[in-house]
Amino acid sequence: MSEPAARAAGVGTGRAVAGFMARYGLIVALVVMEAGFAIVEPLVLSPGNLLNIVQQTSYIAVFATAQMVVILTRGFDLSLGTCVSTVSVAAALVMTGMVAANPANLPLALVMGVLTALGIGIAVGLFNGICISVLRVNAFVTTLGSFNICFGIATTISDGRPVFDVPKEFSELMYSGTILGVPAPVVIAIVVLIGIHLMLNWTVFGRSLCLIGGNPRAAALAGLPSRRYLTMAYVVCSVLAAIGALMLTARTGSGEPNLGGNVTLQSIAAAVIGGVSLRGGVGSAYAAALGALFVTALSNGMGLARIDGYIQQIILGCVIIAAIFVDRLRSGVR
Amino acid sequence: MTSAALGASPAAKGGAAALGRALRHVGFLPALLIVLIVLLVLFEPRFMGMFNVFNVLRNSSALMIVASGQMLVLVVGGFDLSVGAVIALTSVVTAKVMAVMLEASPDEIPMAIAAGIAAGMACGFITGLINGACVALLRISPFMVTLGTSSIATGVALLLTNGIPVYGMPDTFVKDFGRAIWFGLPMPVYVSLFILVLVWVMQRQTTVGRYIHAIGGNVQAAMVSGVNTNFYLILAYTLCGMLASLTSLLLTARLGSGQATMSGNLMLESIAAGVIAGVSLRGGVGRVEMVALSALFLSILTNAMNLLKINSKIQTIFMGVIVVAAVALDQLAKRRTRDARES
Repeated sequence: MSEPAARAAGVGTGRAVAGFMARYGLIVALVVMEAGFAIVEPLVLSPGNLLNIVQQTSYIAVFATAQMVVILTRGFDLSLGTCVSTVSVAAALVMTGMVAANPANLPLALVMGVLTALGIGIAVGLFNGICISVLRVNAFVTTLGSFNICFGIATTISDGRPVFDVPKEFSELMYSGTILGVPAPVVIAIVVLIGIHLMLNWTVFGRSLCLIGGNPRAAALAGLPSRRYLTMAYVVCSVLAAIGALMLTARTGSGEPNLGGNVTLQSIAAAVIGGVSLRGGVGSAYAAALGALFVTALSNGMGLARIDGYIQQIILGCVIIAAIFVDRLRSGVR
Repeated sequence: MTSAALGASPAAKGGAAALGRALRHVGFLPALLIVLIVLLVLFEPRFMGMFNVFNVLRNSSALMIVASGQMLVLVVGGFDLSVGAVIALTSVVTAKVMAVMLEASPDEIPMAIAAGIAAGMACGFITGLINGACVALLRISPFMVTLGTSSIATGVALLLTNGIPVYGMPDTFVKDFGRAIWFGLPMPVYVSLFILVLVWVMQRQTTVGRYIHAIGGNVQAAMVSGVNTNFYLILAYTLCGMLASLTSLLLTARLGSGQATMSGNLMLESIAAGVIAGVSLRGGVGRVEMVALSALFLSILTNAMNLLKINSKIQTIFMGVIVVAAVALDQLAKRRTRDARES
């Protein structure tokens, strides 16, 4: 082989390695990390724990997907966590209230609970979306405002206490039940992921979101109804948050005013670690799910390896910064 | 209030158009602040009580200092979500260093205080430096960097203390500094005024201030004009971190203990204060005097709601509405000015 050709081949492999790492780096990191945890604590790779990880992932995956939809448009939703709390409390109140009034009509109570949740999701999403797209208030400020508003509503209607006595049937439906042997939360998460994947790839609305985030001016010049789509993106986000909130409520068996505590930051971190770009325009349901899996596996492994909770927090912070840095490199590769 | 008075004098001469222009220049914030104060003085006698006034002044001075740091970062087009964590970390480190030094040599009180303050300020300096370096050199999004450092700093603060307050600071630091009254006003008021003047002078009179604004307005243009953009970006984040540390020192001295949970809502409030003051989140625009006014406004508003015994849960709802409404009004006003200019 002549020297320039060899050099070209070297550059080619270098680029190929970079490309491979850009695409599959997170999976490699995940495998390495799990292997590392398994050396410290073999239980990490036991079938029971792996199933546990998958179950845990399904919640974060739904929230990360919700967040991804608005990050695509170059925004984010800080109100996601408190929206989750509000939905949890409100749905629990509606269900317990209706069951107390008329114990015979359980299915109606469950349906009304779910409808309340979706209604609140739509309302919060509309508020965020309209403030951002029509009133042109910055996404940070708007969702900071609705964060406060939702927090206030959740603690006011519940009086700051958990709402107990959520019908057992609800928990069976969305938590302990299985469909073809697959746990209900996993089924819901998969349905959500596939739904959002189809929406982003097969509908005009979904495909427009990437353009609106990637290049707002081009989107406007192309004649897209940007305001309407932007509003719809926030509605989709909050509705997904409501679905996640129902899943969590079914798990705890009560409506919790503090349910969404860490959800906002966790969802943003998971989406970004999965490769959703905060500069907008880049993201997929797959990325959100992968990021959620990584974050869950990390905290699961650190827990089993008995790493101090405070140190876990420090490590998570480092991982977030590292993930963003990798994202930076990745955009250089493209 | 001074800017409202300034705006009003030419308005009287120039008529309605000038009034409109003046209002647009100072915004609706001073007017809102005056209305709020007048209403409170008229209808809530407890508001003017000395104890209450001191309280409001203390709270607002802490917020003013953090918010002016936050403003510098907002002006360069960034964000600092880590100020709350820096406040917590500084508080813990300062208290810990003072307590340890005092235990080692009980007579060296000034030494212990100096070391504690230096260690505390170093926390803000280092965090700010890391934030700035990641944003400027690695070009990582400020939101994520400061989210990460915030998680790290909180973790370190909790790790150092296990979540338990740190006692054992010298009495003089608490009594003669933290809870001191100088010339009839709480000490933090003077510190915050000093910082405000300093930042104002930096913004208005020095090249540093002009460069910081230039970077926020248009990084490319600033770079092409020969501004060392990386340096000034890092400087903005470092100053923000150090101002957060300073706030923490004031709060820690007042409380008399180092607490890992001290920051409360100061991070969100500092951004809210900036935004209400018309600081653009896209960078390049922001005036420290307006930030100070809006910090005062937020503090008085909270105080008023407390005095009126409004449920704290409803207060959060109200705060959320106020922040969004303030920015929406500001946007509408800007759009109208732009339309008027274009037509």
